[in-house]
Parts: sequence; structure tokens; C-alpha cells
Amino acid sequence: MKGPLAKTAILLVGMYVFLKFILPLFTAPLPASLIFLYLALTFASAMIFYTMSGGSLDEFMGPVGRFLTGSGQAGVAGTARVLVFVLFPLLVGWQTYTKLAPSDLPPAENRTIHPAPPGEFVGLANPYPRTPENIMMGKGLYAAFCSPCHGANFDGKGPAAVGFNPPPANFSDPGTIAQLQESYLFWRIKKGGVGLPVEAMPWKSAMPRWEVELPDEWIWKIIMGEYDGAGQSPRTWEEEE
Amino acid sequence: MGYKKIFSVALGLTLMVTGVEVSGVFASDPPPEGETGSVAVRLFLTEGAVPANDPNAAVWNTIEPAEFKLAPQVHWPDRIQEVTVKSVKVRGVHNGEDMAILLEYADPSEDAADAAAVEFMVGDKMAHFAHGQEMLQVEGGDVNIWYWKKEHGKATNMTARGFKTLRPQESQNVSATGAWQDGTWRVVFSRPLRTGEDLDVQVTPGEWRNVAFAFWDGEIVDGDVKEKGSQKAISSWWYLRAEPPPDNSIYGYVVLGIVLAAGFEFFLVRKIRRGNES
Repeated sequence: MKGPLAKTAILLVGMYVFLKFILPLFTAPLPASLIFLYLALTFASAMIFYTMSGGSLDEFMGPVGRFLTGSGQAGVAGTARVLVFVLFPLLVGWQTYTKLAPSDLPPAENRTIHPAPPGEFVGLANPYPRTPENIMMGKGLYAAFCSPCHGANFDGKGPAAVGFNPPPANFSDPGTIAQLQESYLFWRIKKGGVGLPVEAMPWKSAMPRWEVELPDEWIWKIIMGEYDGAGQSPRTWEEEE
Repeated sequence: MGYKKIFSVALGLTLMVTGVEVSGVFASDPPPEGETGSVAVRLFLTEGAVPANDPNAAVWNTIEPAEFKLAPQVHWPDRIQEVTVKSVKVRGVHNGEDMAILLEYADPSEDAADAAAVEFMVGDKMAHFAHGQEMLQVEGGDVNIWYWKKEHGKATNMTARGFKTLRPQESQNVSATGAWQDGTWRVVFSRPLRTGEDLDVQVTPGEWRNVAFAFWDGEIVDGDVKEKGSQKAISSWWYLRAEPPPDNSIYGYVVLGIVLAAGFEFFLVRKIRRGNES
């Protein structure tokens, strides 16, 4: 097992073990597609390296050539060769079938959950002071207008939430309002689902366009009540700790 | 030397392609946390007439239903926060000409104002599920709504693009029949797959369409109908597809693929042997 082919195989197995099992001990696991990309690059590098000169190419390809032509083979190697020669066309046939067979799966949907807001909604500050009275009023308005879907516990599990696709946002999740500025929420509440850009699939959203029913003051106070109730803080750019 | 170059390139390409495919099969990442329940209605291909006016036809019991949860309509006033119909089972068949869609849902009482509707996006433009209402950043399209009400005893073919634009179409080509038994409505809608009308959804076997559902409980409570107008149970947009006829040409391509792969092997081995001899 000293040939260049064997070395390449050992290198690939080693890379795989490293990327799949050892690296995750120190950092987040890599996606399978990225692992495959690294292995493909490793393999391509080995190919380039061994095809640099005639001698090394012979060394690299020799065992493969002998295997394929079946020269001097018997027993297990001979059987493996027949197996490979039978399986390869079948694999191609199977791939052809899976590529052409009509899929029963509906089109994949890549919906952007937090798309970029329109310019006029960037960087607006909440004009109302964060007083206990304002927060309490915001929570009251939230209970009346928002909680049926977004939930009395701010968890997106209100009694009217079942059946909506996409589901109402869960404000207690650190991935929602904690990642957003108050002005972003102001936009989303004011313009609702129909205000979303195309990548966010506005045609699917049940979020009302509250500007036709609620004054801006109420929306700002709802935002205050929402953050307070969900135990989150708005994202800010200026006052990083 | 030439054959070895060809050989190594061919081998490399083969291994890469095989690797990509195999990695896709065995090494794919886990799917994201998905919603449970169905995402699509499948109209099964059948021979002969579709059970157009028969909600209790035997064929329906042979079809696996898609099931969709329903929500109260809270998107615009007048809202409702609790609805009678909580989910719907949907079955469908077509025969290449006509289609029939059966909606089955629980409603404890049979009332004159009980109603059900199926909504489709029409054409290529995406339409908001709420009657194709105006979207601010996206130009929306029309929706086609098939509406059935118990007291009418028939379907109305309607169109809308935005609030207050809902109206019956001139072409009334949808039929509907409902049957209530033991707390369950079974309502069957039917129509030709294709109608030639611009405002109708055109269903082409093999292609996906967007579909949504709505239900009204017409029970009289305190002298008034419990659910009417915008107060209804609704679904989000889901998918619908009429099953395409089986396509046997696929097997021809499979055989071609196998023959080409075997030919490639033969060519490769012969090339190497010749190279070795020379």
C-alpha cells in the first residue's frame, strides 16, 4: 500500500475523519456540502500533483489500469472488477431515472424571513419614552391586537396561530426581534404582510397592514410592550457594549 | 502518453460526478424543522368519469387525503378569533379532461348558510391569499374562487383582485354538491381542467398550482349567522397538482444511459490495453 493511489485514498479518508469528527470538537460542525467540497479539492489536488510528470502518472494510474484491464487478476480482484463493470452502468441508469422521474414534491421555497426594509423605515427612533405607563399601554394594545396570533406569552402560539404558513413570529426566540431594530418592527407592523418584498413571499403572510387601523403612536407603544414582554432588547448600532 | 491523459481526465470526471451524486444521497444535511401536515393536494389520474356530483362515491374512499389546518381570518376586519372548522381533508381526481375535488370537514350542525370555497392563483403572477389583495412591493395577479353555499345548492365561479373586487364570473363552469352526515360535510367541486377563460385557473397535469380553502359555519346564534363574509376559517396557500400520465420514455433514456456507460467502459479498457501494447 505504498503507491500514490493508496496514498491519495488514505489522504481522503484522513481528511474526512478530520473534517467530520475531529474539527467539530473545536468548532461548529461543517455542513456536509462543505465537507464534500473540501474532499473534492483534495482529490483534485492529488490528481494535478500526480499528473505533473509521466512517471508519477504511471505510478498513480498503473493500479487503476491493471484493475480495469484485468491483467494478471484472479479471485477477489477479478470478481471486484466484474462487479464494478456491472454496477457502474446500473448506477448511471439509476441516476438517469431519478433525474427524469417526475417529482411528487412541490417547488422548494426559499423565503427570506427578515428582508431589508424600505429606506424610509431605516434608523427611525421610537419617539415615545420608555416609561412604565407607555410600556403598560403597549402591552394592553398587544393583548388586544397581536396576542391572538403571536400569543399572550409572546411565543407565536396564540389561539389563532394554528394553520398559518408561515407561522406568526415567536418574539421570545432570540432570532426574531432581538436581532432587529425598533424601526424594522415599525415597518413590519405598519405595512404588514402585504408590505414585504418579493423574496419574503408577501402573498403568503396573514400579518395585517395595521396602518389602516392603528395610529403610529399605538404601533410604537406596541413595540415597546413587545420587547418588554418578550424579555428582549432592540438591536442598536450606536450603543454596542 | 496521450491515452493516459484522456484516461485520467475521464476517470477524474467520473469519480467527481459519482461523488456528487453519492454525497447527495448519503451525506445530505438534515432538513430544517418543517411544518407537519400536508403541503399539496394530488389529483389522482383515473379512467372514466370523475365523481363530479357525488360526495359519497366509492372512489373517494380509495384516495389518501391531504389534510390542512385552518385558522380564523384575522388578516383584515371584520375579524374572527375562533372558528368552527379546524381542519379539512382534501382529495382529488382527474381523467385528463375533468377534475373533481372533495373537501371533508367537521361541522356539528347542518345549516342553510354553511359554505365552503376553494381559491386558486390564476396565471403567472403571485396573488395574495386574501382575495388577491394589493401588495405594496409586488404586482399581484387574480384569484379564482369556487364558492359553494348549502342554501344555493350550487357553485359560483368567482374572480377577485383585491378587496371589494370579488364578483361572479360570466362563465359559470364549476359545479358543486354537498352532503352532510353525522357532523361531517363532504363537498365535491368539479370543473374541466382547462376552460379557456382568462380568469379561471387552468390546471395542466404535471404542473403545480397554488390553492387555498375557506369555510363558514352558518349556524344561527342569537338570531345571527355565526360566520359570514370575512369571518371564516381559512387556510394558507398550499399546492395542487394533477397527476401527469405515466411517461414511459423515461425508461428509454435509462436504457440509453446504461448502454452509454457500458460503451464508455468498453472504450476505456480497449484504450488502456492498446496503450499498454504500444
